[in-house]
This record gives sequence, C-alpha cells and structure tokens, in this order.
Amino acid sequence: MRLGDTVVFTWRALSRHGLRTALSLVGVAIGVSAVILLTALGEGARRFVIDEFASIGSDLLIVVPGKVETTGGMPGVGGTPNDLTLADAEALERRIGSVRRVAPVAVGTETVSHGARSRDVALVGSTATFAEVRRLTVGDGRFLPPGEARRGGAVAVLGRQVADELFPGESPLGEVVRIGAWRFRVIGVLEPTGTQIGVDFDEVVVVPVATAMRMLNRTSLFRILVAVTPGADLERVKERVVEVITTRHDEEDITVLTQDSVVGALTGILAALNLAVAAIAGISLGVAGLGILNVMLVSVAERTGEIGLLKALGAGRRQILAVFLVEATVLSAAGGLVGLAIGYGLAFVVARLVPALPTAPPLWAVTAALSLAISVGALFGLLPARRAARMEPVDALRKGS
Amino acid sequence: MSGLGAFVARALVAHRLRSGLSALGIAVGVGSVVLLTSIGEGTRRYIFDQFNQFGTNIVSINPGKSETVGMPGILGGTTHKLTIDDALVLQRLEGVTGIVPLAFGTARVEARERGRSVYVYGVTPNAPALWNLRVRQGSFWPAGDPRRGRATAVLGPTLKRELFGAEDALGERIRIGGRRFRVIGVMEPRGSFLGLDIDDTVYIPTATAMDLLNRSELDEIHVAHRPGTDQQRLVERVTVLLTERHRGNEDFTVTSQEAMLDVFGNVMNTITAAVGAIAGISLFVGMIGILTTMWIAVGERTHEIGLLRALGAGRAQVRRIFLLEAATLALAGGAAGLLGGLALAAVLRLAVPGLPIETPLPFAVAALVVSAATGLLAGVLPAQRAAGLDPVEALRAE
Repeated sequence: MRLGDTVVFTWRALSRHGLRTALSLVGVAIGVSAVILLTALGEGARRFVIDEFASIGSDLLIVVPGKVETTGGMPGVGGTPNDLTLADAEALERRIGSVRRVAPVAVGTETVSHGARSRDVALVGSTATFAEVRRLTVGDGRFLPPGEARRGGAVAVLGRQVADELFPGESPLGEVVRIGAWRFRVIGVLEPTGTQIGVDFDEVVVVPVATAMRMLNRTSLFRILVAVTPGADLERVKERVVEVITTRHDEEDITVLTQDSVVGALTGILAALNLAVAAIAGISLGVAGLGILNVMLVSVAERTGEIGLLKALGAGRRQILAVFLVEATVLSAAGGLVGLAIGYGLAFVVARLVPALPTAPPLWAVTAALSLAISVGALFGLLPARRAARMEPVDALRKGS
Repeated sequence: MSGLGAFVARALVAHRLRSGLSALGIAVGVGSVVLLTSIGEGTRRYIFDQFNQFGTNIVSINPGKSETVGMPGILGGTTHKLTIDDALVLQRLEGVTGIVPLAFGTARVEARERGRSVYVYGVTPNAPALWNLRVRQGSFWPAGDPRRGRATAVLGPTLKRELFGAEDALGERIRIGGRRFRVIGVMEPRGSFLGLDIDDTVYIPTATAMDLLNRSELDEIHVAHRPGTDQQRLVERVTVLLTERHRGNEDFTVTSQEAMLDVFGNVMNTITAAVGAIAGISLFVGMIGILTTMWIAVGERTHEIGLLRALGAGRAQVRRIFLLEAATLALAGGAAGLLGGLALAAVLRLAVPGLPIETPLPFAVAALVVSAATGLLAGVLPAQRAAGLDPVEALRAE
C-alpha cells in the first residue's frame, strides 16, 4: 500500500463513524486544551511576579535588621539589640565603591487628614534618593529635597490616591496636611504606579526619614535600600555591606537580601506549581488514550473482513500495523490540534478579561501536551494494530463476511 | 427485574476488554480526584492542628491597622503605642484568664565560646500554660509586675543543645545581645510550627526584651479566655477598650483564632476544590469514553434491541438497560479508582512520612456517587438512541 492509499483508507474508516471519531477526538482535545490553558495561567502568574520585581530593579540590595540561624526563620521580624541607623546608611554610601545610591527607609501606619477628610496610610520615611531607587516618578511638584538625611523637615509627598481623596478636584501642592499630630506641607504628588510587591504606592505618604523616625518613635530603620552601580558584582557588594555593618555593630546582626534571591525563590515555587497542575491536567490525556484504545479495538473487530481482504491481496503484517497505527495517531493528533486551538482561544479570552495577568501558554507545555497527545495515540493504537496485523487472512475473510 | 441485572452483566462481560478499559478511564479520574483532595484535606487539618496546639482560646492584638497594608504589625510603628499597661487593662475583662504581652526580635545568644543568632521572645511566666508548652527543667521566673525586668532566661531545647550540648544549663550565665542573663529553665521539645523550629529560641521577661531589642511598644498581646466565651464579643470588647485608651484611634488589629482559622480554612478549601476540579477533567474525559463505548454497543446490538422490542419490551425498558449498563461501568470504575486512590495515598504516606493525607468518609462516598452519576449522564445519549430505534428496522439489521 502506498502512502496515499493509507491516507484514503484511514480517512474512510474515520469518517464512516463520524460521532465515534469525534468523541474520541474530543477526549484528547479536552486534555490538551486544559494543559494549555492552565499552564498559560501559571505562566501569567510567573511573569506577573517577575514584572513586579523588575519594576524595582535587579541591582538592588535590601539590608534588613536581624539575623536568625533558626530553621524556617524570617529576618526582619521584631527588634534587635543593635539598631540599623542613618549612620549605618551613610557609612554604606561612603565606604563601598560600587554603591550608587542608598535609601534608608522607616515605615509605619498613620492617619493623614486635611480639613474634615482623613484616611489611614502607610507612612514611608526616606530621603531624596528613594524615588530613584524605587523608580517612582513625581507627577506634580517635586520629591523630597536632597540634603542631610538626619535633618528632616515638615514636607510630604502624597501618593496619587491619597491626594485625590484628600483634595478632590484641587491641587494639594503647597497645602498643609496633618499626619498624626504633626503638620506637613505637601510638596509633590507621585505619578500613579500601582502596587509594587505588596506596597501600593498610590496609598502612601513619603516624608523625610528623620521626621518619620521621630513621629513613629523609632530608633531603628525598617530597611536600607542599596542601589549598586550597573555591572558591579552583586555578591561582592553584598559581602562588603555585611562587613561594614558588622564592624560598626561589633556583630553580624543584619540580613542582606538581593532581588534575585527573592525572585528566584518565588518563581521557583511558581514553576513547580505550574508543572504539578500541568501534570494533573495531563492525566486526562491518559484517560483519553484509553478511549482511543477502545474505539480502535472496535474498529479492528468491525473491519476484520476488510483486513482479511487486504492480506489476501498481499498486504504484509507491517503494512496492516502501519494502517491502524496511522489511524490511531491521526485521531489523537487531530484531537491535539483541536485542543491547541481551544486552549489558545481560552487563554486569549482570559488575557482579554484580566489584562493584568500576562497569560501566555509556555512553549514547553504546548510541546509536551501535543507530543504527549500524539504518543498516547500511537501507544494505545499499538495493541489494536497488532491484533489486526496478526490475523490469519483466511480466518479474517471468513469471519468478516 | 433480576433479569435486567443479568442481561446487563452478560452484555458487559461479553466485551470484557472494552468494558474494562471504559471503567479504567473513570477509575483514573476518580482515583486522582480522591488522592489530590485527600492531600488538600490532610494539609488543611495539619495546619489547623499546628495552630490549635497552642490553645484555641486565644485572641491576639497587633499594633497597626490591617486595612491599609494588608498585614498587621509587619510595618511596625504607630504613634499610639501598644503597651504593657494596655495588656494589663485587658486582663480585667470578663472571661479573660490570662494575658501575655509579647515583644520579640532577633539577637545573638552566647555561652562560653559558643553563640547562635535566634529569636528572642519577651513573655510573662504564664506563657507556657497559655500556649500548652511545658518546662522540662527548672522553671520560669516568678510572676510579678510585667513592667519590671530581670536578667533571667529560659532556653528552648534546640538552643540549649547548641550552646551547652549534653551539659546542664541550669544556673549557667549566658549573654543575649551582649547583656548577661542567668539560665533558670529549659523547655520541653515541641517541634516546629509551620516549618519554624520553635525550640530554637529563648524566653526572657517582656520588659527586659523591650529594653534589649530597643522596642518602645509591644509586638503582640495574647489574650486567653475561658472556653465557651463568645470570641466575637470578646474581640469587640477588646477593641472598644483599647480604642478608648488610644484616644479614639483604632490603631491596632484584633484577631481571634477562630476568625483566622475560618479565613484560612476557606482558602484551603478553595485550593483543594480547584485542584480537585483540574483532576476532575480526567473524570469528564472518562465519561466521554463511556459515552463512546455505549454508543458503539447500541450500534452493535441493534438486532438484539429489535428482538427485545418484538418480545414486548417497551422503550422505557430498553432505555433503562443501557442507562444501567453505563452506570454499572462507571460505578465499577469509580470503586476501583477509590481503592486505587486510597492505596496510592497509603503508599505515599509510607514514602513521604511528613506528607499529611486524609480521606474523610464523605469524600469516598461522594466519589462513588459522582462516578455513578457520571455513568448515568454518559448513558443518556446512547440509551436515547437505543430506545428510539424502530423495532422492525432493528430486527432487520444483522
């Protein structure tokens, strides 16, 4: 039998039983589209996380007070015997060559009010460098003025949402707001940035760090952000940071986090989750394979006479085997392609409905789902195909008539 | 009607391989749903136990409001402090059996040449009773005014071993964050809480901890109440009292353990349901498999159906035969899947001892009901086709 004949033979066999063919195809299609849609969602979540972190920059070191050797412990919870101070921040900027910018950060919650309006906000105390390090842009007015970090001052920069709520329809620039019991002059409003790793910068108020520490009655900074010169070895700088602070505190009582380590850990977890979900959805492909196996078994039984005839006309075992294998594989491959189309379609719809989630079926999942679908067909087609190939021509002719 | 059963059984057995494969499809689906939801349920119970091991009758208060930043306390710092005095006032509320004002942080603990950076907890001596922890050796410092500090420490067993090995630690001098303390007790091992080794720690008086860790306010207050007290009411009373003390500002967050576990349980249930649903896709594909098989069977047995009709069987009876056949297939598959899932769960439990797996009885029953329903659903179309056959035409078919 030539290739063309095989194709025609297969086509006739499949189209003769339209519904049956369609049903076994649907099984594979469901499996493939589920894998594609789910991994697209997972990939979207992964990209979302990466984008979130990329918006802060990968050249950032985060110095957190406290260090624990306890397994499962998180640094930066509670207090420490040695404060992380503004002097520490200054020392880092002065003593390490490849440090571009240092932004000390103090954080707390406060109520900010103007006239009768008030709301609770996250109060961030920092310096002029903070905007640059966190890549914030000022929409109206200006950011905190550069200068002595320890001097402080009664000026505030509002997040967009805070500004809109306290000053609906008017410009807050130059106006006075109360934060807790203190009075501040508004000098700027941040451009809307939305949420960056859990902190909504539209809902913060930024004031000079020294002022914030006085207001919050804190002696220790919450964090020091260190922006490293582009191209510098992050690990080396990290070691130097630990060295400098350890010398100043007489003990190593800080933890330095890099953007990379945090992103790495997060995306690692997400990737594992995605793989697990894909595998669970992939089980349905195996079940679909069982369906194909069943249909092919029936198909072989029904066409016993036909097989006998082919054999009588000189078709060899291999040829018969090939015919039925091709049939099974065509079934599953067609199902796979239909599933691919449906999966991409659904992912597209989700991407449209939820623009924040950059859904995209990852190539590995598409390849895996398709090749799994095709090999499921070939594998489960093997048993019926061999049954057909082994038939004795005479018996088959007699039985089939 | 026993004739119907026998008829169905014979039909299924006649195509053993085919029936087996269709049932296997359902079995794979049911098995994976059972296994995955069992893992989900096991995890939920595991975490509940983790929380409940510290006593269920506790309400906690953290500084800061949760509204703006999502998590209370994580940002620290508010203008009105959460103080030991606040904690002492709460003690007077009705139904309250004890309070623990907490201050914690990280510090280096040193004994002779050895040192280790661990969590330091500032607590009151009633803390072990409230948290269901036991002191193995020595004791906590005597109860007294929590505003007053003293240089005594109780070590967690892991920390004790790291610093002193097998030697006796009682009465020894240690340094915490450079200050001198005397060890007066060692705790009973407790293991870990959600992955955090809670034995690798040191307890000192709250006031001392605040001083050592440069805290001007508490990190948390635990309020224990009598069992049976309405937690929601207690939360309200705590909120009113503290708001009053903080000059009308509600700048703290009160969390009851019940409420927290409720929220957490909901999240876990959602995850379990989602994973179960994804596994359920296989069940759906298995259903399509049964539909296909039954469809083929109707085609093959057209003659037989014609004969049945000629012998006086009504349409309804024919329909029932095929529905029953489909349901039997699926139920058999479901039962096999349930057993397979349980067996796999048992194997997994042996292979990964830490993995919490739990299959509650309702889950198992639900698996069987769902698979039978799946079969009925899959049988509708073929049964309809069989019942709709014209008896004369059907008889003529060979």
